[in-house]
Amino acid sequence: MEAWPDGRDAATESTNLMTAVEETPTSAGGSGELVPAGAAHDAAAAPGAHDTHTGVANAKLAMWLFLSSDCLFFGAFIATYLLYRGRDGQTGPKPADVYNIPFTSVTSFILLMSSLTMVLALAAVQRGDYRRFRVWLMATALFGATFIGGQIFEFTEFTRKGLNVDTNLFGSSFFILTGIHGTHVLVGIVWLISLWSLSMQSRLSQGDSERVEIAGLYWHFVDIVWIVIFTVIYLLPK
Amino acid sequence: MTDTDTETQEIEAGSTGSVPERQAGHEADLAQGDVAYRMSHAAPNLLPGEIRAHPDPWQYVVVAVVLAVITAVEIAVSYMEGDIPDGLIVTLLLAMMVMKFFLVASWFMHLRTDQPVFRRFFIVGSIAAPVLYLVVLATLHGVLQH
Repeated sequence: MEAWPDGRDAATESTNLMTAVEETPTSAGGSGELVPAGAAHDAAAAPGAHDTHTGVANAKLAMWLFLSSDCLFFGAFIATYLLYRGRDGQTGPKPADVYNIPFTSVTSFILLMSSLTMVLALAAVQRGDYRRFRVWLMATALFGATFIGGQIFEFTEFTRKGLNVDTNLFGSSFFILTGIHGTHVLVGIVWLISLWSLSMQSRLSQGDSERVEIAGLYWHFVDIVWIVIFTVIYLLPK
Repeated sequence: MTDTDTETQEIEAGSTGSVPERQAGHEADLAQGDVAYRMSHAAPNLLPGEIRAHPDPWQYVVVAVVLAVITAVEIAVSYMEGDIPDGLIVTLLLAMMVMKFFLVASWFMHLRTDQPVFRRFFIVGSIAAPVLYLVVLATLHGVLQH
């Protein structure tokens, strides 16, 4: 009979392990009771259940994987901006000619504070306070919309000063980077409003808080990407 | 090993037995299969993937105030261009950017309270991206100048 280095019998431990896997605890209803593996799958289909094959929620794991890859996506555009920044021989406006730091600081601050309202919305839904959840969620969407409004104003001003996406390398890399970030924010706003609508129809309960948390992860990611963009693109010495 | 990793192991190992015994049992279980182990040791009253309860709303507010203060200092420092060396401005701004980045990721995105696997995924992405693109910048910067 094969034995492990610590003296335990391999066959017995293997049986114990299989039993442990089959008795996967389900978080459905938060009871933590042990159920057979087949029943766990059935329970996962119930409202508020958290589907998992690895011990961590599948949807949450998928979102983190997406965010990890999105770091590389944004990294490519930030690197491109830095590469083309300050190249000699460019025609058209340069960063110092068009940036309005006080204005961008205000919109950046609004986006930063939207992360606070987002976590407050999550905390509210997790304790079953749906009224506050909707208030904080709508505040987050409105902050995001304000940020987008500021970005549209900024783009319009830049265009008026002669900087377009095809004016020079600075214009191309700037508009592509901030435009893609703005698109991410827009997607986030649509996502938040859809969650708000579901809540208004009483189709989002305390047990569905994981859906709000995943939307929140996306929203916070958009925020931290802007933290990097704001510093690297706007604030670093030109 | 970080404090959180240690806490994770302690929570997952349960409260019975001495620390060395629990540690040995934990490592043996991991050797058998990390996935099966985690599935059979989920903490009650927490979502899958969490090892501690999320912070309370007031803690979130405190973090937001800290973020606001750092942002204000960042903007102030950016206006000191010409008064202090550019190298110092760059260093200060990048340091404050990293602080804000990790404050949001650890508190608002709950990397402090979730299982380390999420943190590892995110660290791989957020470290790999700058490293990869620094290499690209270092390579192409010279190429484009010629």
